[in-house]
Amino acid sequence: MSNKKILIVEDDADVRLGLHVRLKANHYDVFFAVDALSSLAEARKHEPDLILLDLGLPAGDGFVVMDRLKAVPALAIIPIIVVSGRSGAANRDRALKAGAKAFLEKPVDNAELLAVIRQALGETVKRERPLVHDLGTL
Amino acid sequence: MRNRALKVLLVEDNAGDARLLREMFITERPGSIELTHLMRMSDALAHLAKGGVDIVLLDMGLPDGHGLDTVRRARAVAPDVPLIVLTGLDDEALAAEAMKEGAQDYLIKGQIENRALPRALRHAIERHRMQAETDHIRMSQLQFKDEFLSHVSHELRSPLTAIYQFVTIIQDGLAGEVNQEQQQHLEVVLRNVKQLQAMINDLLEVASVQASKLLIRLERTSIVDAITYTVDTLQGAARDKGITLTAETGGALPDIWVDATRIRQILIILVDNALKFTPTNGTVKVQARRWEQDPSFLVIEVADSGCGISADKTELIFERLFQVADPALAARKGLGLGLYICKELVSRQGGKIWASSVPGEGATFSITLPVFSLSRLMAPAFVGHKYSESQITLVSTEVGSRMGWLSEKVRADCSNWMRDVLQRCLNSKLDVLLPDMGSSGATELFVVAAVTDEIGGEAITKRIREKLHGSHEIVQADLTFSTCYWTLPPVQRNADESMESFVEKVAAKIQESIDERSSSRMVKI
Repeated sequence: MSNKKILIVEDDADVRLGLHVRLKANHYDVFFAVDALSSLAEARKHEPDLILLDLGLPAGDGFVVMDRLKAVPALAIIPIIVVSGRSGAANRDRALKAGAKAFLEKPVDNAELLAVIRQALGETVKRERPLVHDLGTL
Repeated sequence: MRNRALKVLLVEDNAGDARLLREMFITERPGSIELTHLMRMSDALAHLAKGGVDIVLLDMGLPDGHGLDTVRRARAVAPDVPLIVLTGLDDEALAAEAMKEGAQDYLIKGQIENRALPRALRHAIERHRMQAETDHIRMSQLQFKDEFLSHVSHELRSPLTAIYQFVTIIQDGLAGEVNQEQQQHLEVVLRNVKQLQAMINDLLEVASVQASKLLIRLERTSIVDAITYTVDTLQGAARDKGITLTAETGGALPDIWVDATRIRQILIILVDNALKFTPTNGTVKVQARRWEQDPSFLVIEVADSGCGISADKTELIFERLFQVADPALAARKGLGLGLYICKELVSRQGGKIWASSVPGEGATFSITLPVFSLSRLMAPAFVGHKYSESQITLVSTEVGSRMGWLSEKVRADCSNWMRDVLQRCLNSKLDVLLPDMGSSGATELFVVAAVTDEIGGEAITKRIREKLHGSHEIVQADLTFSTCYWTLPPVQRNADESMESFVEKVAAKIQESIDERSSSRMVKI
């Protein structure tokens, strides 16, 4: 069975890389978008099974991205998990109301992140595997 | 220099004193002073409320107002108008008190020099203006600081995230094998990441406290549960330090009316603090009981056998950014925000917090929290309402799962949005949304609205059903619901009965009816 595809929308390069390594090690294929504009194009191109979305982005924040995804029927069904440095009940409520499956505050505990991803994808646990050689591919 | 006339309001019931004061303005340039003289406090307040007064000269002994009360009332109506109190020779202490209440100055009758009065007025106005300006600057600085704090905290989270991600990547062996010594070093990094994370969270919390954005959701909750949760959570940390951590909640304690999450947060901060300042082999004890001073509160104490707090610090420690001076004790503990956050959280739930200590023998932190009372919750609905002729209808809505049980998280989410839905179906002036009245078993939520309106029950039930049928939360979580209503026999109010005792009687009936129904439901199941 082929790996599930996850699109990471995150403007911080280091955080992006960290997510990449962790998710690769957990058998996911990972794609990236660095701002609101490119996220829609990347989503169309790769048709991911899940999107990890930061809220603070250049050129329109995560809420804008969610609105745009919702407007495209083929993309509207992709589950979204918000991973943000913003906190507070207001942001959480707004994100969940906009259709996010979950709202996680940075830094997210690895186990929690993976559990939420699995839940959103309807998966069971797989073993994490080392992926030293992948670090250079970004 | 001002050109228009200075508008002075003189509030003085003694005609002789008033005339003497009036004469003192005669030497002033014509048109520079416009004096209004009133004899009664009620007239003065009405005049102040209209605005346009530059300064008030207030006698503290009026037919309808006396002492500091006059100052408070005047300040309440016109906080921006400077005020000078007039007192007798033997009242200087009272005058000093008046200054604390916000008076700009005081003048002793019979000792006022002719030329000094207008000058005193102008100085008072100038001082008041400068004070207001300083306050304004302070407020905008505070606001700027909060925005800054909030912004910085958010920005700190990204680099911290990257550090956490890569430390755990190495630690988990995703980048090759790690030997034991390296593993220990990584533990240190990780521990510090967590400490930084806690500090950033504290900063954000303080920023929202300052901006009054802190959300408090009052509900009926058990203090014993909160204490048990806290002790369980921190038992590991206590064991690591060789400290005995115990809880004592003797006797049946009533439920409290607070935000359950916030209470846990407060207790965690207090117990965590106690553990920090208690040496190995020490003890930390959490106790709860009815408060002797006011039985409508519980008092919860966190007592440690640590170094204690010197008497002059027991209030200071609740100030923002307070840090213990002794570096040996403080080590690297955080930002000094924990107790400040506690104080804000406790006071916003109607309680108090204080510390007492015998240095060298330990410290005790006490908080008080309001006991849940159905009658207190219902009282507002009875104000100004001719209840005696109408009936009370109770509407209950139960939410359950097709699976037969609700997870803790679904229960919490569910009860939050259910309360929102119900609130929107009620008449806020007449109806009361009761807290989860419990005792219907672990499988369902049981929310009741007391309706003090004759025809309300059916209409409200219909409204709730419609709202819930269209609710996608219900569908998404695969929940079931049912709503029904029943009417209580009217409760008679005796002619000489106080509203308070009457509301208590009604509350008791409501409680009785709910208990009856939930126990019969339990039997059915």
